[in-house]
Amino acid sequence: MLKVTIGQYYPADSFIHRLDARMKLLCTMIFVVVIFFIGNFLGYALAALYLVVVIRVSKVPPKFLLRGLRAILFIIVFTAVLNVFFTPGETLVFELGFVRVTQEGLLAAGRMGLRLVMLIIGSSILTLTTTPIQLTDAIESALKPFKKIGVPAHEIAMMMTIALRFIPTLIEEMDKIMKAQMARGADFDTGGIVKKARSLVPLLVPLFISAFRRAEELALAMESRCYRGDVGRTRMKQMKMALRDLGALISLAVFTGGLFILNHIANIHGIW
Amino acid sequence: MEIVVKIDEIVFEYGGQPSDDGENIETPPNVALDGVSIAINKGEFVAVLGHNGSGKSTLAKHINGLLQPKEGMVWVKGIPTSDEEKTWEIRQSVGMVFQNPDNQIIATIVEEDVAFGPENLGVPPAEIRVRVDEALEAVGMTKFAGNPPHQLSGGQKQRVAIAGILAMRPDIIVMDESTAMLDPIGRREVMAVAKRLNSEGITIILITHYMDEAAQADRVVVMNGGKVVMEGVPADIFTQIDELKEIGLDVPQAVEIAHKLRLGGIDLPKGIVTGNQLVEALTNVNRN
Repeated sequence: MLKVTIGQYYPADSFIHRLDARMKLLCTMIFVVVIFFIGNFLGYALAALYLVVVIRVSKVPPKFLLRGLRAILFIIVFTAVLNVFFTPGETLVFELGFVRVTQEGLLAAGRMGLRLVMLIIGSSILTLTTTPIQLTDAIESALKPFKKIGVPAHEIAMMMTIALRFIPTLIEEMDKIMKAQMARGADFDTGGIVKKARSLVPLLVPLFISAFRRAEELALAMESRCYRGDVGRTRMKQMKMALRDLGALISLAVFTGGLFILNHIANIHGIW
Repeated sequence: MEIVVKIDEIVFEYGGQPSDDGENIETPPNVALDGVSIAINKGEFVAVLGHNGSGKSTLAKHINGLLQPKEGMVWVKGIPTSDEEKTWEIRQSVGMVFQNPDNQIIATIVEEDVAFGPENLGVPPAEIRVRVDEALEAVGMTKFAGNPPHQLSGGQKQRVAIAGILAMRPDIIVMDESTAMLDPIGRREVMAVAKRLNSEGITIILITHYMDEAAQADRVVVMNGGKVVMEGVPADIFTQIDELKEIGLDVPQAVEIAHKLRLGGIDLPKGIVTGNQLVEALTNVNRN
């Protein structure tokens, strides 16, 4: 059978894994915002240290985090290069024709690169230590305050759940359709990118038709089980904040405080 | 006997839509149910038999109000399904298990899916936990509680779907061709669960085209062309071999074999519909 992993959850029993998903989501968001305020490399060193500690505590092997980075390496390099060339600066490092590389540009590129790397690692820790269901529930409760202004919090969470539920089913189905067409001489492997893309069309049409039929049947099944949106609904699994969640928040607060002090010192002494 | 489901002269038609070539000529409506009346007693195991297009699935969808009849009425425990305020009460008492096991599981974890029904009913969390554990136990799926559904076999998925219904504490379970997509092992598992639940007092309405499954019911309703054409205990229905063949249905294997053996001169008692009954009758023949 096809092996499908949804999300990138790394099962382990750690302090971070046991944290309430809502707290993890909140902390991740705070962390992401905070790293964009870091103005000097001392700050980045502190942030890196904090991340290393969190990774060690989470028991997630660092190679999982690096794998996530590899996927977007291109974007990081691209952004950094853009920053090198397009940051206005005075201190010239070297010039070649119209290409001017300045010290300011290099520093900006370094900052942007580090920010992106930390952003990815930070959010990867969230997805690696939280199951998709917990994450969905956390997103639902995070969106709840916005319900008053018309954000369909419950519906978004329900759609995510159903999407997660059907990804493996649809992948399996696609595999079957592919094999059935290969048996009749379809070729998915050779040819240029255009030919390959075109060979996918006969695959996507039956897949879409079947997805719509599934959706219709699922809707009937949900109605039969008394689903009527968020009206009078309870949840079996209640999320509970524990003391450790407070601990996590305090550690993040201490880290943020440390950063601001460092920022201040750096400003006074003119450190990069 | 207390009647839990009463279906009275219902008529239902599909279609009346514009035809495919875009012209505004309406296709004639397709009559799926043409005056069907059935009364089902509390605790009964009723099989509804019929080939494709006989209207049996349309009938099933009327029992929990997914479809409303054009004419006639359906009552569940005395409540008419047309009463919109009672829709959720009816759907709580009438659980539906559908054909495709993949298209009725909503959550990404087995126990979360079983909890879906009671969550919708607003049952308190602690009580849901109890119900989920009981329901999974009843279908023998406790050890898969934490698994994602796509790792289960078809029969296991259908048992999870039944557990999801059980957690809503229904009085009636309608199985709308729930075994049609399963392999023989899966079918046996699901039938065993259905029979056990029936012995515990839940009314089962089994929509099927498998004769061997219908043979295990208390009563068989045979449908053809949107009408009920035969109704009675399996032993009476399945002895009408010619009538069944006329409407495109087979008889259970045991009936067929017993019929041929009788023609071959072996004296077998009447009313053999299941394999076990046949085996028993044949062992007695040997002894004589």
